[in-house]
Amino acid sequence: MSEQGTARHRVTVTVNGVERTLDLEPRTLLVHALRNELSLTGTKIGCDTSQCGACTVLVDGRSLKSCTVLAVQVAGRSITTIEGLAPGSTLGVVQEAFKQHHGLQCGYCTPGMVLATVDLLGHTPDPDEAAIRHALAGNVCRCTGYTGIVDSVRAAAAAGAGQ
Amino acid sequence: MTYVGTDLPRIDADDKLRGATRYVGDLKPHGLLHARLVLAMEAHATIDRVLKDDALAVPGVVAVLTAEDLPTAFEGPMRQFEPLARGEIVFAGQPVAIVLAETEAAAEDGVEAVVVETTALPVVLDLEAAIEPGSPAARVRQVGGVMEGGAAMHVEAGSDGGDEAVPAAAGPVSANAVGPHQQGQGDVAAALAGCDAVVRGTFRTSWVSQIYMEPQGALAIPEVNGGVTIHSATQGAFYVRGMVSKLYGLEVDKVRVVAEPLGGAFGGKFNLIDPIVTGAALAVGRPVRLQLTRSEDFAAGMPASACVLELELGGTRAEGLVALRSRILLDQGAFGDWAVDGGVAVMIGGPYGWQAWESTSFGVVTNRFNTGAYRGPGGPQVVFALEQLVDELAQELGVDPLELRRQSAAAEGDTVFDGTPWPAVAAREVIERTQLHPLWAKRGSLPANEGIGVAAGVWMGARFPSAATCRVDQDGGITVVTGAVDMSGTNTSFAAIAADTFGVPLSQVRVSYADTATAPHSPPSGGSGVTYSVGQSIRLAAQDAKDQLLDFASGQMDVAVTDLEVVDGMVRPVGSPDRGLSVGHFAAQVTGFVAVAPPLEGRGRFAPGNPSPSVACHIAHVRVDPDTGEVTTLDYAVIQDVGKALNPALVRGQLQGGAVQSIGWALYEELQHDENGQLLSGSFMQYAVPRADLVPNVQIDFIEVPSAVGPFGAKGIAEAAVMAGTGAIANAVAAATGARVRELPMTAPRVWRALNAK
Repeated sequence: MSEQGTARHRVTVTVNGVERTLDLEPRTLLVHALRNELSLTGTKIGCDTSQCGACTVLVDGRSLKSCTVLAVQVAGRSITTIEGLAPGSTLGVVQEAFKQHHGLQCGYCTPGMVLATVDLLGHTPDPDEAAIRHALAGNVCRCTGYTGIVDSVRAAAAAGAGQ
Repeated sequence: MTYVGTDLPRIDADDKLRGATRYVGDLKPHGLLHARLVLAMEAHATIDRVLKDDALAVPGVVAVLTAEDLPTAFEGPMRQFEPLARGEIVFAGQPVAIVLAETEAAAEDGVEAVVVETTALPVVLDLEAAIEPGSPAARVRQVGGVMEGGAAMHVEAGSDGGDEAVPAAAGPVSANAVGPHQQGQGDVAAALAGCDAVVRGTFRTSWVSQIYMEPQGALAIPEVNGGVTIHSATQGAFYVRGMVSKLYGLEVDKVRVVAEPLGGAFGGKFNLIDPIVTGAALAVGRPVRLQLTRSEDFAAGMPASACVLELELGGTRAEGLVALRSRILLDQGAFGDWAVDGGVAVMIGGPYGWQAWESTSFGVVTNRFNTGAYRGPGGPQVVFALEQLVDELAQELGVDPLELRRQSAAAEGDTVFDGTPWPAVAAREVIERTQLHPLWAKRGSLPANEGIGVAAGVWMGARFPSAATCRVDQDGGITVVTGAVDMSGTNTSFAAIAADTFGVPLSQVRVSYADTATAPHSPPSGGSGVTYSVGQSIRLAAQDAKDQLLDFASGQMDVAVTDLEVVDGMVRPVGSPDRGLSVGHFAAQVTGFVAVAPPLEGRGRFAPGNPSPSVACHIAHVRVDPDTGEVTTLDYAVIQDVGKALNPALVRGQLQGGAVQSIGWALYEELQHDENGQLLSGSFMQYAVPRADLVPNVQIDFIEVPSAVGPFGAKGIAEAAVMAGTGAIANAVAAATGARVRELPMTAPRVWRALNAK
C-alpha cells in the first residue's frame, strides 16, 4: 500500500442521478468512496472478503458488491445507492414491501438486500421462492432467517416492482 | 384501538430501509482518529518487545499504543480489564497494540509496520487433554487470580445432593480447570439400575461465532473534564459505563455511554472493544473510532464455547425420564471473565422433571479466544446431547419420542437441577401442540433418505430490574424514555404497550432512547429480559402518567376520576364520548410559562422476581445424500410458548431467525484452529453461515400461556428460539439414515463417516 500520498485519480460518476467528480487514491474501493467521500453511509460494510452483500449497490441498474471494485473502475457509470432509491422520505415499492412484510430487523443487511431485490425484480418480475433464494444467496442476513425477506420480495413482485 | 397483539411494522423500519439509520461506524466527529488493531500472530507467547518506529513513520499515523500506554487504573482477570495483551499473549487474534491515524488506510498501513517480538510458549488447545493433570498451563501469568475471578461470575453449584459422590468429578485435574460445578439429587446409580432402559453417549460441539452483520464498533470522545463519551454498538450502556469507569479509575458520571443502533449482536456486543477505544482516546486526547473488519471480528471476538458432553440417561415406560448423569467440559478460552461452564450443569436437564441426577461441569482454560455470550448460551450444546439421547431412549423403550417428552415434561414445583423449583412452565402444552403439528404427522410417509426429527429446549430468562419514564408532551403525544438498547424490535413493542396503556394512537407515542447520563436505570439487552422487565416499567410509567392526567382532568372537567377514560387521545366521561377533551388540551395547560398544575410525568419501576421460562420444540425435515453425507433442510417448524405475543409479526421474525441460527449450529458453523492455534475459519470464505438458498421457510406456531410477571403476559422469547435445532436436525438425520452423528456441526464428512461406521 505504498501508493499512499502519491498520485490521485479524478473520477466522474453519476450517483443517485447527480454527476459527481472525486479525487481519489487509486486504491479506493467504491464502497469507501461512497461512504467517506460522499457520506452515503447507507451502504454498509459487513465483511472484507466480498461475501456478505451489505455493500450492494446498483451500477447501471445491476447489483454489484461495492467492495469488489475500485472506484476508478466505475468512471462514467451510473450508481444507485439505498439513499437514491426513492425521493425524500418516501419508500419505493420494494422498501414498502420489506416494511409491511417484516423483511428487516437490525437493518444492517437491509440496504444491500433491498438493492439485490430491485435487481432481481428488474429482470425477473415474478420469481418463485427458489429463484428468490438463489438471487439473494450473496446477501447474508443473520436476524430474520430469510422467511420474512422472501415474503417481502414476493409482495414487492405482486405490487409490480418489476414492471 | 388496541395495538398489543397486532402485527405492526417496526417503528424504525423507514429509516433502516432508506439507509438513514446511523450506526457507530457512520459517525465522524471533528478531529477523529481512525484505529486498527495489531492482533497476536501466536496462540501463546510472551511479548518481548513491540517495535513501533516503522509504523510511526507511516504518513498519517499518530500513535501506536500498547498495554503500557493505556491509562489503566485497575488490573483484574477479565479480558475487559486487559484490553491489550499485557506481557503474555494467550490466543492468536488477541489485540496487542492499537494504531491511530488520520485515515483508515494509514492506520492499516501502520499495523503492517508494527513488529511484535515474542517467545513461544506451549499452546493448549485440546479440551480433554487440557484438563488432565500435567497439561501445560494455557496462562502463565495469573492476573489477580484468573480462575477465582472467573468462577465468581458463574452460576454456582448450591447442590442439593452435596454429600453424594459424583465419580466423574472425583479425579485430579490440571490448573486449567475451572470448577467442578456439581448439581445432584437422589441416588442416581440406583435410579439408573431400576430403569427399563439406559442410553449413553459422548458429544462434541464447535466454537461458533455470533455473526452480527455489523462488526464490533465504538467511538470514544475525550471530554475536557477528564471524562469520556463513548458511542458504542453495545447491548448494555450501563454495563459498559461500569466496567470502563473501573478500568480507568473514573467516577461513573465521567463515563457517558451512548448506545448506537445495533447491527445485530446476539450476545456478542458486551464491552469487547470499548475499553481499547476509550483507553486510546484518553491517552492521545482525541476522538478515536474503531470498527473491526470481519476478519478481526472473527479473530479477536468472543464467540460461543465448544463443549464435550458425556451423558447417560435412563427411563421407564411407566414414568418416562427418570435419571441423568452428565460430565461436561466447556472450553472457556483464555480468560476467566464469563462462561456458562456452571450453567450447562443445570441446563442439561432440559424442560423435564427428573427423579435423580448427578451433573458435573468444568470450564477449561485454553488458548482459544475467550467465551462470549451467544443467544441462549450453552443451550444449543446441551440440546444436541440430551435430545439425541432422549430419542434413543424412546427407541429403546419402544415409545413415541414426543410421548416420552410429554410424559416427562417439567411442571411447576418440579426441581430444576440447581435445586430451585420450576416456576410455571408450559413444557407439556408445547409438546402436546407439537404432537399435532402437520409436519410431524408427515414422518411416516417420507421417501428414502429423508427424515423428520424433533427436539425441545427451554430458556429460563433474565430478571433484570428496570425503570422508565413517560412524559406527556404539549401536543398531547407521549414520550417514553428508556436506556435499554433496541436489539430485537423492543421499541416497537414499547410503543404499543404505552399506546394501549395510556389511550393514545400509536402515531402519538414516541420512544426515546437516552444515554447513561440521562436515562432511567436500564438493564443490558440480553438474557431475553428486556421486554420482560422494561416492557413492564414502560407500562407502569404510562399508567402513572395517565393517572396524573385523569387527576388533573377530573378537577378541570368536574367529573370523578373513576368516571373518566382516555380513548384515542381524548379524555372523556365514561358513556359520553362527545364530551371529550383532547390530551393536548390538558397537557398545554401544564407545560406553558404559567401553569396551573405540575407537568404530567409518569415513572415506572420493576423488578421481575420470578422467571417465566419459554419452551420451544423444533421439527426438522431433512434429506441426507447417502453418497456424500450432505444434509439438506427441506422443511422446518417452531412451536413455542411466548406467553403473549405483543407483536406477532416480530415474534415470528424472532423465532424464524432463531431457527436459522439453530440450523447454522447444526450443519454449518465451526471456528476451527490448526494444531498451533491458528484460526482456520476466520472469514466468510471458510466459516459457513446459513444463506437464503441453504434454508427453507420456517413455519411458526406459537402458543400463548400467559406469564404472571411480564407485560400483558409476555415472556422472553429470543433465546428459547435458538435451542432446539441442533437436536431436531440430529434426530432427523438419524430418522433418515439410522446413523447417529455426535459432533457439531454435522458437516458432510462427519455424516458420511457416521453412515459408513454402521
